[in-house]
Amino acid sequence: MKHARVLYKGEGQHNDVELDVTVNDQGDLVTAEGTVISESEVTWLSPIKNPGTIFALGLNYADHAAELAFEPPKEPLVFLKGANTLTGHKQNAYRPDNIEFQHYECELVAVIGKEGKNISREDAMDYIAGYTVCNDFAIRDHLENYYRPNLRVKSRDSLCPIGPWLIDKEDVGDISDLRLTTHVNGELTQEGTTKDIIFDVPFLVEYLSKIMTLKPGDMIATGTPKGLKDMQPGDTVVCEIEKVGALTTYIVSEQEFYGDKY
Amino acid sequence: MSTNPIVTGKLVCVALNDQQQLDKLDATFNEAPYKAAPTQPVLYFKPHNTWNTDGATIAWHEEGLVVGASLTVVFGKECCRTSAEEALSYVEGYTLTHDFSLPEKSYYRPDIKGKCQDGSAPVGAVVVPASDVADPQALTVVTQVNGETVSELPVSQLHRGVAELISIISNIMTLQPGDAIAVGFPGDRHPVKQGDKVTSSIAGVTELTNQVEA
Repeated sequence: MKHARVLYKGEGQHNDVELDVTVNDQGDLVTAEGTVISESEVTWLSPIKNPGTIFALGLNYADHAAELAFEPPKEPLVFLKGANTLTGHKQNAYRPDNIEFQHYECELVAVIGKEGKNISREDAMDYIAGYTVCNDFAIRDHLENYYRPNLRVKSRDSLCPIGPWLIDKEDVGDISDLRLTTHVNGELTQEGTTKDIIFDVPFLVEYLSKIMTLKPGDMIATGTPKGLKDMQPGDTVVCEIEKVGALTTYIVSEQEFYGDKY
Repeated sequence: MSTNPIVTGKLVCVALNDQQQLDKLDATFNEAPYKAAPTQPVLYFKPHNTWNTDGATIAWHEEGLVVGASLTVVFGKECCRTSAEEALSYVEGYTLTHDFSLPEKSYYRPDIKGKCQDGSAPVGAVVVPASDVADPQALTVVTQVNGETVSELPVSQLHRGVAELISIISNIMTLQPGDAIAVGFPGDRHPVKQGDKVTSSIAGVTELTNQVEA
């Protein structure tokens, strides 16, 4: 089952309401009451209702580490992101003013469904609710060698689109060889497979839960393969993971994104 | 682990903001892996599993624990891209954070293991309304371990002050009600032992007490 969250203005209503829906095989949205809504009538939200800790992995694909001229890490490079970064499918994300290089990162996200500490690798998958796709944008201009990748690079508003939905783990099955692609304005710019992940989901659940309690709504973004490309306002970027989903994001300028708050 | 009624969103902490520590590390910053001094505030999150309260017992860790206390700004309304001049108008109130962490060895990579232990970030005891604090820069954070003073950090000794930090951080991430910023810790975090009682206070504002698991 695919679980999504959307804003919807029903007939006779003045304000958008948040709805938890499922997505059927035709791509229509179905409410808890069984009402079918067309995708064109809604605004997609992050599928994680109460986002917890957002873990993200750096340099977790062997080919990407080589692309950035890094040795593959011996221990996972984990960083945290704020929930302010999350936005939904088909939403805007912004390119900050006065920068040279902003790139997308198509990533498989494992979402925690059950609280646990000191979880073994063997039991790890029992704690996963399902998967989604995120686009973990980075602003390379802002990298500094303190808590790298620092929050100014990785924790900006809107720069972690996620979705379109959370799909139950049973519906995906084996995640050890899923194809990932990114298309920018229709052109294939990034291609890889989760086979090249260095530290896999069971390893990461064991590793993180040895440090801290994992809770429902926590997310692990598992890193990205090679294929970096700069983004510009006007670009449409689609991150897709086989069996999970395709996440579309529209790049806008900082001024357009913030509007009156700019 | 207990939930904290004060922080419900993001707890952003500022590292390397004690001017005395920055001066001391100046030469180190030019060496690998840093290669240059930081040009921006050095920030880290204490995630939700770390949030804790006044009076809470802090779990011991076999690698040892150090503690630092920080004046903490709590937001009562959305704060997006504010200027330093207007920053303080977004502050709902002031409180204290104890950051219990594993000894700080390096600032190069995010220190998930060191900073994200369960219950390692008590915040409290109370939030004093911003209207009761004329100038946050005039406050001093005093920390005592078992009754003995181990650090005194005047907020004026911070490299970047409260208003400037709010402005910079709110230009990276929109701050929401229930978010908080711990603006700066003493450069030398103090080692604690099992059973130690740690009390930090800001005169006339609030006091925060925690005991390390015996």
